[in-house]
Amino acid sequence: MAFLDGLLPAYYESIIITVGIYIILALGLNLITGVTGQLSLGHAAYMCIGAYTSAIVSMKLGLPFIVALLCAGIVAAIFGIFIGFPVLRLTGDYLAICTLGFGEILKSILFNMPYVGGAMGMAGIPPKTTLLNTIIIALIVIIVMVRMERSRFGRSLVAIREDEIAAECMGINAFRYKLQMFAIGTFTAGLGGALWAHKIMVLQPRDFGFMKSIEILNMVVLGGLGSIPGTILGATLLTAIPEILRFSSEYRMVIYGALLVIMMIFRPHGLMGNTDFNKLAKRTFRVFNTNNNKDKKSGMEG
Amino acid sequence: MPLLELNEVTIKFGGLIAVDSVDLTIEKGEIQALIGPNGAGKSTVFNLVTGIYPPTSGTISFKGQAINGKKPYNITRLGIARTFQNIRLFNELTVLDNVKIGRHCRSKAGAFGGIIQPPSVKREEKEIEQKALECLRLMDLDDKAEELAKNLPYGEQRRLEIARAMASEPEILLLDEPAAGMNPQEKTVLVEKIKKIREMGLTIFLVEHDMKFVMGISDRVAVLDYGKKIADGPPDAVQKNPEVIAAYLGKEVV
Ligand SMILES: Nc1ncnc2c1ncn2[C@@H]1O[C@H](COP(=O)(O)OP(=O)(O)OP(=O)(O)O)[C@@H](O)[C@H]1O
Ligand SMILES: [Mg+2]
Repeated sequence: MAFLDGLLPAYYESIIITVGIYIILALGLNLITGVTGQLSLGHAAYMCIGAYTSAIVSMKLGLPFIVALLCAGIVAAIFGIFIGFPVLRLTGDYLAICTLGFGEILKSILFNMPYVGGAMGMAGIPPKTTLLNTIIIALIVIIVMVRMERSRFGRSLVAIREDEIAAECMGINAFRYKLQMFAIGTFTAGLGGALWAHKIMVLQPRDFGFMKSIEILNMVVLGGLGSIPGTILGATLLTAIPEILRFSSEYRMVIYGALLVIMMIFRPHGLMGNTDFNKLAKRTFRVFNTNNNKDKKSGMEG
Repeated sequence: MPLLELNEVTIKFGGLIAVDSVDLTIEKGEIQALIGPNGAGKSTVFNLVTGIYPPTSGTISFKGQAINGKKPYNITRLGIARTFQNIRLFNELTVLDNVKIGRHCRSKAGAFGGIIQPPSVKREEKEIEQKALECLRLMDLDDKAEELAKNLPYGEQRRLEIARAMASEPEILLLDEPAAGMNPQEKTVLVEKIKKIREMGLTIFLVEHDMKFVMGISDRVAVLDYGKKIADGPPDAVQKNPEVIAAYLGKEVV
């Protein structure tokens, strides 16, 4: 089984594993935001839940990696349903606001949880993530996403994105479909988090902040919202290029910024996508504006 | 028993009474039109029947069963399908996929079935495609199956909405201004299609501003003004009704 081990220099192996993990993460977010049009700004929170869950299962409970992986996905999906249940009933960008808030709350809870090491985080997680198991899981996720996209379920998700009222008038229970989709998307994020945890072996709450969510969102947007090949390409480019060019991690954000501006001008649909990026940008700004206004109001009252 | 029956149906939006104690009965196999000046509440009646809004008061029944308060997706399953005044297609999807989605309530594969794709799901998917193509053929759109919905000309987008509604195998079809924006040739084709759909045994409930179109095709015409029903009957009687003429004063009545 270990025929892939040692085939590549460790450095390249590590990059490919990272690419694989981001492909898994980005495909989950693509399902949520690209395919179904539900803007989520907290994908890293579900990755975080998966990472911590899997670390607890394999380190503290001493169970096999496959169990840790499954638990990571399931617990992330449970949190997804927990957040989605009240929010996905509504139309509009409430999901964006709630996922954003949830990410921040989760971070401060973990900071104050001695069981998982608080701000110091968890160290000594066994290095169970290999090139082989990452590739296998990434392939499974890709196959699942492709099949889903071409099915009655996937078509319904796109219909909800395109026109929720018309979709409901075709017999689609939009809330139920959105909730199922969100559970699948967050399950995938949990898997990615588990692979991540068992690769870098140390977890800290601040690794999963808002910027991580935006990093994953950028991959989906760059490749093209709603496109599976596009998302894979976006995840690969945005992970591999900075690594290969040996840029320091601060430059990464500069590259993102520049790429996004270039994209907005030349390819508003992403490299391979079919949903307009400008729409998403407008929605994101709207979310931040409402948040800011709320802050201002509460500031005035306080 | 009438197929669709509205009994003192009222809806208020804040202070505005958009539909005011409207009674209406539609018999099976009829073409019933609903006309009235802009803002009279015609589209709102459609939104009430299809469950987009629950009525403030009154009952709506379909085949003797109360449907007011039911969700749109449940109402569609019972056999009521519609088109929209301001076309609401799934723009980024192909013409064929649009109609396949119309088939949603008559199929059942879920997320899991889509991933595993057992033979039963594959069979269902074939059935969906066949039925969708049939509906496209009915509306003369089968040669456009692979185009994106947004790229169709206006008249064809309106026909695509009808094809999509037909895919749900409705007993009654609600058409909200199906001829709006069409040229005379397109209107002639549309009349032909609507008559054909009626021959298939469907009942048609139609909102339209084009009087020649309405009077030529309808069995009965109801008139709405400021949310109230002011007339209901065969087209020639309604045209002569003084109240209707007053409501349309300054507007064209043929
Ligand atoms: N969701 C809503 N909220 C508030 N008011 C509404 C809503 N929907 C409709 N109305 C109001 O109800 C009235 C009836 O509107 P409706 O769209 O049913 O008219 P209509 O007869 O279809 O007109 P038109 O011929 O222009 O399509 C209008 O005054 C409209 O502004
Ligand atoms: Mg109207």
